[in-house]
Amino acid sequence: MDSDMRIWEHPVLGKYEKYEEPKVLHFTLDGKDMTGYEGDSVAAALKAAGVMTHRYTAKNHRPRGIFCAIGRCTDCVMIVNGQPNVRTCITPLEEGMELRTQYGVQTKEEWEAENDEEI
Amino acid sequence: MKRYEVIVIGAGPAGLSAAAEAAKKGMKVAVFDENAGPGGQLFKQIHKFFGSRANNARMRGFKIGRKLLKEAEENGVEVFLNAVVTGIFEEKEVMVRIDDTVHHYKADYIVIATGAAENMVPFKGWDKPGVMGAGASQALMHLQGVRPGRKVLVVGSGNVGLIVAFQICQVGCDLVAVLDAAPRVGGYGVHASKITRTGVPFLTSHTIIEAKGDDHVESAVIAEVDDHFTPIPGTEKEIEVDTVLLAVGLTPMNQLASNAGCRVEYQEQNGRLSPVTIVDEYGETTMSGIYCCGDSAKETAEGASSAMLQGKIAAEHIAADAGYTTEADAEEKAEEYRKTLDQLSGGMFDVKNKGRMDISTTEEGYPISQSLLRHGYITAEELKGFPAASYEADGPHPVIECTQNIPCNPCRDVCPAGLIHVAEDITRIPEIDYSQKCTNCGMCVTNCPGQAIFIVDNDYEPGYATVSLPYEFLPYPEKGDKGKALDRSGTPVCDAEIVSVRTARAMDNTAFLTMKVPAEFADTARFFRKG
Repeated sequence: MDSDMRIWEHPVLGKYEKYEEPKVLHFTLDGKDMTGYEGDSVAAALKAAGVMTHRYTAKNHRPRGIFCAIGRCTDCVMIVNGQPNVRTCITPLEEGMELRTQYGVQTKEEWEAENDEEI
Repeated sequence: MKRYEVIVIGAGPAGLSAAAEAAKKGMKVAVFDENAGPGGQLFKQIHKFFGSRANNARMRGFKIGRKLLKEAEENGVEVFLNAVVTGIFEEKEVMVRIDDTVHHYKADYIVIATGAAENMVPFKGWDKPGVMGAGASQALMHLQGVRPGRKVLVVGSGNVGLIVAFQICQVGCDLVAVLDAAPRVGGYGVHASKITRTGVPFLTSHTIIEAKGDDHVESAVIAEVDDHFTPIPGTEKEIEVDTVLLAVGLTPMNQLASNAGCRVEYQEQNGRLSPVTIVDEYGETTMSGIYCCGDSAKETAEGASSAMLQGKIAAEHIAADAGYTTEADAEEKAEEYRKTLDQLSGGMFDVKNKGRMDISTTEEGYPISQSLLRHGYITAEELKGFPAASYEADGPHPVIECTQNIPCNPCRDVCPAGLIHVAEDITRIPEIDYSQKCTNCGMCVTNCPGQAIFIVDNDYEPGYATVSLPYEFLPYPEKGDKGKALDRSGTPVCDAEIVSVRTARAMDNTAFLTMKVPAEFADTARFFRKG
């Protein structure tokens, strides 16, 4: 679990509150088991786990990830607990969350079924 | 429909200041902000602020944020979070979406303080995961405690780019380079210098051509540009990075001002059109009773310090108009705030000097370092032209490598010996009073927001000198640690040994590191690398 992407201690900010007594949260990404910490945004938990691609655009299937990290640009949206277009950078991670990489506005299976084409 | 005397949109530095000030006068104030947390972008800011005491100089941004929020709350301001203002209608009706419900509020006065958004620069692959705004990396690092990447390239050397680039180093990422298409570093030289001396190169007259990688960024192609910012064929270089941070300016968020019917003009800023909401000297727009302040009101973002003062000025005018203070008192206060605002402008980085390439000397008449502008560090030769940087004395004494006219004076405030002077016009370069003796307390070194002051002792031991420097990286070196001293360009120049590491509450998480170097390197050794 310990990721080299986590800043356990910062020279100015010291130890982040959420790392004082870290509480592990379990979630899934496309069915795969993953963990993050309470206090993480969904995007931060994914970043710490090394996931960079949150979605693929509808027409050209271009990968997209975190861009503004403040809820403005909508590049980082994913399907969260069945709901598409959720801005992961401002959505707190919760225990048991089910995340799906978003293709257009659908899951990969939905997109492939509808377009009769494999990605 | 619920009524407030003042509705403020945006809980950042401008909005919170306006709200707190109006509430202090006795007005009923609500603040709406679309974010889950208040403070705007202040809580992402961890560097020590420039300016004077009147604008919280040497205080770190997130602490200013805490102070501001406390002030607003203590004065009874109601702050609504996750509250998106979707429109301003006639008679100052404000429509707000909270959760999935739309609410209507009415106000006597509205303050629009919506801030600015980061600009983009298009290049091939700019949309790949791994390319992000510099501000985005701050949100990840400072709010989430997560690194934005492992190997990072920063595009843009304005103050935002420089500040973020340093912060990237602080969290242990590998900062590969800082690029700027302009032939010179855009932000304060002191911000650049603290990066350069750690060994990171500045590539001026360079641009990014492409971010490469299958599913995310794996490398970046950069190239040198000519005088017209066109890449020079044959100069392309591919560098391995997983993250590209864009720091290419900000654009005011003027949508609500436009929507409310305020006059907004578009002005050209560095080749792109930027909206400017027209306001008077109090921040009132062309719509009576609707104000706009902070970065949302400006053609060029001026940052939190100015935003806070503009918010206060607007609040004074509102309170006077509503009869909560007299016109005379409001004008007197506003004038005081304007004076502090004026302190923050001026100097070679003033908005009116933006893009000027012909400033060759400081206001004092000293030649400005061309190496600093071109490569991010000043040469020893160029420093000789600055008295406070080339001052020699027996025992420990400050060497002030502050060589551009920037609005800042904490070094004067913190020196207990009264050795350091900055003129009333705080853009002036600090001077040293040679009749006073340095106590080696380290306060100037650790409190200088530009980390541009060193304490040098040429007489430490026969053949050896010490150089004391500000240090904000983990882990701190320990007494007895041996390593290399790096010069201003980040080149290792000699062996060095740590003789003391001091920290203190008043140094606010900047360590005061003293290294011993051979005497002949006292004027060049400016950073320590262990091992």
